[in-house]
This record gives sequence, C-alpha cells and structure tokens, in this order.
Amino acid sequence: MTFPPGIAHTIPPGLRLGLAMAILAAVWLVVLPSIGRYPAVDRHVRLMESRDVNPSAMVYTELEHLPLRPAWIEHHLVLWPTGN
Amino acid sequence: MAADSGADVHKRGLHEDSAAILIGVALVALALAIGWSGRPAEDAASRKAFPKGWPNRLAATIDKPQTWSDAPKQALVVVDKKDPTKVKPVAIPILLGMAWVVGILAAGTLLRGQSVAAVLPGACLLALLGGLAYLMAAQKVINYYNLEYPLWALLVGLVIGNTIGVGKWLEPALQGEFLIKAGLVVFGAEVLFSRLLELGLPGLLTSWVVTPIVLVVTYLFGVHWMKIPSKSLCMVISADMSVCGVSAAIATGAACKAKKEELSLAIGLSLVFTVAMMVVMPPFIQWAGIDPIVGGAWLGGTIDATGAVVAAGEMLGKNLEDKRPAEVAATVKMIQNSMIGIIAFAVAVYWAGWVDRDAAGPKTSLATEAWRRFPKFILGFIGTSIVCSWLFTASPEFALLVDGAIQGFTSRLRGWLFCVGFVCMGLQTNFRELAPTLASGRPLILYCLGQSLNLALSLAMASLTFGWLFRQGASP
Repeated sequence: MTFPPGIAHTIPPGLRLGLAMAILAAVWLVVLPSIGRYPAVDRHVRLMESRDVNPSAMVYTELEHLPLRPAWIEHHLVLWPTGN
Repeated sequence: MAADSGADVHKRGLHEDSAAILIGVALVALALAIGWSGRPAEDAASRKAFPKGWPNRLAATIDKPQTWSDAPKQALVVVDKKDPTKVKPVAIPILLGMAWVVGILAAGTLLRGQSVAAVLPGACLLALLGGLAYLMAAQKVINYYNLEYPLWALLVGLVIGNTIGVGKWLEPALQGEFLIKAGLVVFGAEVLFSRLLELGLPGLLTSWVVTPIVLVVTYLFGVHWMKIPSKSLCMVISADMSVCGVSAAIATGAACKAKKEELSLAIGLSLVFTVAMMVVMPPFIQWAGIDPIVGGAWLGGTIDATGAVVAAGEMLGKNLEDKRPAEVAATVKMIQNSMIGIIAFAVAVYWAGWVDRDAAGPKTSLATEAWRRFPKFILGFIGTSIVCSWLFTASPEFALLVDGAIQGFTSRLRGWLFCVGFVCMGLQTNFRELAPTLASGRPLILYCLGQSLNLALSLAMASLTFGWLFRQGASP
C-alpha cells in the first residue's frame, strides 16, 4: 500500500485515501460480481450453497453442521482396538 | 504480540492480560447463564431436537453481515433457504455486535484505570471499520474461496494507516492486542478437549503425531538452517501451516509475542495457500486414485482453514458422489482445532522459559523467570477451555448448553473481537520493518518446505491409519 515516494508526496493524504477507497469499491462492486458470474466460479459457489458449506469458517464452530462422528465410521474403522 | 505501553498500564489499574481474562471469563459465564435460564422444557437432552445446542437469547444481540453477490445491502438480511420469500433483517444484531466491541473496549479501559471518554470515539470508528471488513469478507466470491475476514480487516487498517494515518484522538482506542487476548479467552470455550476423541485412535494419530512433528521441524528448520532472524515469525508460520491456519496463528502469535507485521505476513501466506490447496487437492486425490476416506483425512490434516477443508471435502465427494470424504475431513480438522489450546500453552511456556530468557539478567530459577514472562491471558484461554470441556462431558444437557452458548454467542463475539483487533493491527503495521526478511523470500520458502513435509507425513499417516491399520476387515 505504499506509493513511490515521488508520487506520495505530491498527493494529499485525503485524496490518497479517496483513491484507495475508489479502487476497493470498484473491485468489490464491479470486478468481484463479474468474476462471480464466470461458469466455473458460479458452479463452485452453487455447490457450496447447495451443501450448506461455509468455506470461510475459521474454526469448526462456524460450520453450518457440527462435524460430529459420522454414523458410518464405526463400520469402516476400528476406532479403539480392543486387542481381541 | 509485542507488549506495548506496559509500564503505564501497571500504574493505576489491572494489567492488560488480567483485564482480558476477567472480561473473557465474564462473557463466557454470561452466555452459559443465559443459556441455562432459557433451557427447554422438553427434549432438553436430545441432540436431534437441538442439533446446534440449546437456543441462547444472546444470539439476538450479535450477528455479522451475510453473504452478498452484487449489492452490499444483501448482507443485511438472512434469506430462508427453503422459502426465499422469507427474509429476516440482521442490521440491528450487526449494530449490536459493534456495540459489544465498543463496550468491551470501554470495560477493558476502565479496568486498566484509563480514561473511557478518550477511548469511546475511536472505539466507535474501529467497530465500524470492523463491520466494513466483515462486509468485504462476505462478498460471495471472497467468502466461497475462503479469503477470511482477518485479511480484509488488515487491509482496511493498512489503507487508512498508510494514507491519512492515525489521528491522536484514535490512538487510545488502538488496543488490538487487548481485543485479541480477550477474544482468545472467549475462544477457549470453543476448544473442547472431548472433540479430540471424535475419530478414536486413527484421528488422534493423524493429528497428534503429524502436527507436532511438522510444527517443531519447520520451526527449527527456519531458525537454525534458514537463519530467519525472528524466531517468533518462524513459530507463527509453522503453527498456522501445521495446525489450523489463522486461528492457530493468532493463538501462538499471542503466546510467543510475535510482532503485528509477522502475524499479518503469516496469515497472508496461509490464506493464499489455503485457496490454492482447496482447489487443487480434490482433483489430485481423484486423479491419483487415493481412497476417498484417506483423501478426506489428508485434506483435514493439511489444508489450513476449517471452512476450506470442508469445501475441499465436498468437492472431492461431489466428484465421487460420496459424502464421507467431507465428513472425515471436517472431523480431522476439528481435532486439530481442539489442539490449539495445548499448543498455545506449550509455545508460551517454551518462549517464557527458553527463548525470551535473558542470559545476562539476574540469576533466578527457570520457573520464576518463566512465570514472570509467561503471557498470563493464556491461563484464561486454557481455563475457559477446561471448564467448557468439563461441562460438555458432564451430561448431554450440559453439552447442549455449551454448544448453544458457543454457536449463539461466543463464537460470533470472538469473531468481532478478532476482526476489530486486526483492523487495529493494520492501522499500526509497518511492513518496512519486515522488508529485509520479505525481500529474501525466506518466509515463503519456509512455508512451502513446511507444507511439503506436512503433505507427505499427513498422507503417509492417513494411509496408515485410515487406509490400513484401523480399517475394518483389513489385517495389518
């Protein structure tokens, strides 16, 4: 986010903030919505929505469904070997 | 993170760590008390009736912007998935979420014996900037490709800090470290030790053998072989890459007092690689013909962020028409999430006892010296984790009480505290300090080498445990 020194000194701070905000607004309001309409991106978003996935979850408590032990797992794995 | 203004904090009020513990513990206790007061009259022990725990009335007081695609105003309503004509406005809970942050900043300032009036205007602006960062993170493309809010909170802070700068009136409110410490104490409620056993011995082996090995080897490699000058940078990169991304970076960064710039760099690296791995690994697993259960465990053990793990598991499962990879991946990652408390505690002890030790200082015992330097808020983090873990296992009712308090309140509040904490960090970040290290490319190389080791060891362990040793019907 640093401008080359020559340019930075000639642009007033308020204008620099305005320019940065304009760039961010253009990216979020124009570029990203356009990217979202690309078929591959749209397919990914729809798949995630249809499966109730929240890919931005930082930890498990933010997921739509708590990842509790799946019912099938004990038919597939020996979770705690008994030695028998 | 590096301690600041410690001296005047001690003069009149509580230390920052003590204030963070007091406020964090009080908030967790409040959530549990409100949850208990509203316990259901029927089916109180039924997980089927309450899959996300008992409803908690505090949930109405906090929320964050919802995902939006074209117009930001879409972030202010929740659309019913079954009936899109039904919408629930969330503007007020979002504003109340900001009010919680302002209140916590004011309470922390009061406990530390400083002027609340001086903090309030800046706290309000920071809460609004936190809301802006959340709004940016909620854009659909950003959200569904796992570019989490800390990145945008840092960006918002960086843009303002590097254009108009920080005014004198804002400085008293820039308490990013306090917010993150308080957030970590609240976060302790989500780190439940019983979750560690969710996948039995195969899950424990996959997480508890590979993760510590990768963490320690990557750290030692960065410090001793690559000669990266900052040990805390090596630790934060190692932890976010081997444990569970941003949340682990925050916890270990606070435990080893990493600089703001180091934490920002580690989080940036983690998020970029998370997106790449989320997209590349599922087709690779399918192409390589890896067993879907082993593939799911591999995804869970290697991709940094929890949400991205589930997304990758769903992508793999979609191609194979199988739900199991996503379920195994999510559960392995949840086990790693549950390790954060233990790892943060171990890092804090190691740092206080060995790394920060002043060889030229007065001769005191290792324990005394370690205790003096130990970041005390970690005790609050571990404390809430132990109490909530004990409650969770005490009875089915208590388990639903804890889940309801977490899902309805503490996890949302922790998100707001971290988000505004990262805005503060962005405002105060000076990347010029890291320029020599960045220019050498060594943090990137360290991340890549550590992640390569993680990928290899995790695949070997997942194949051993999920594919062979503990597989029903397979005889080792």
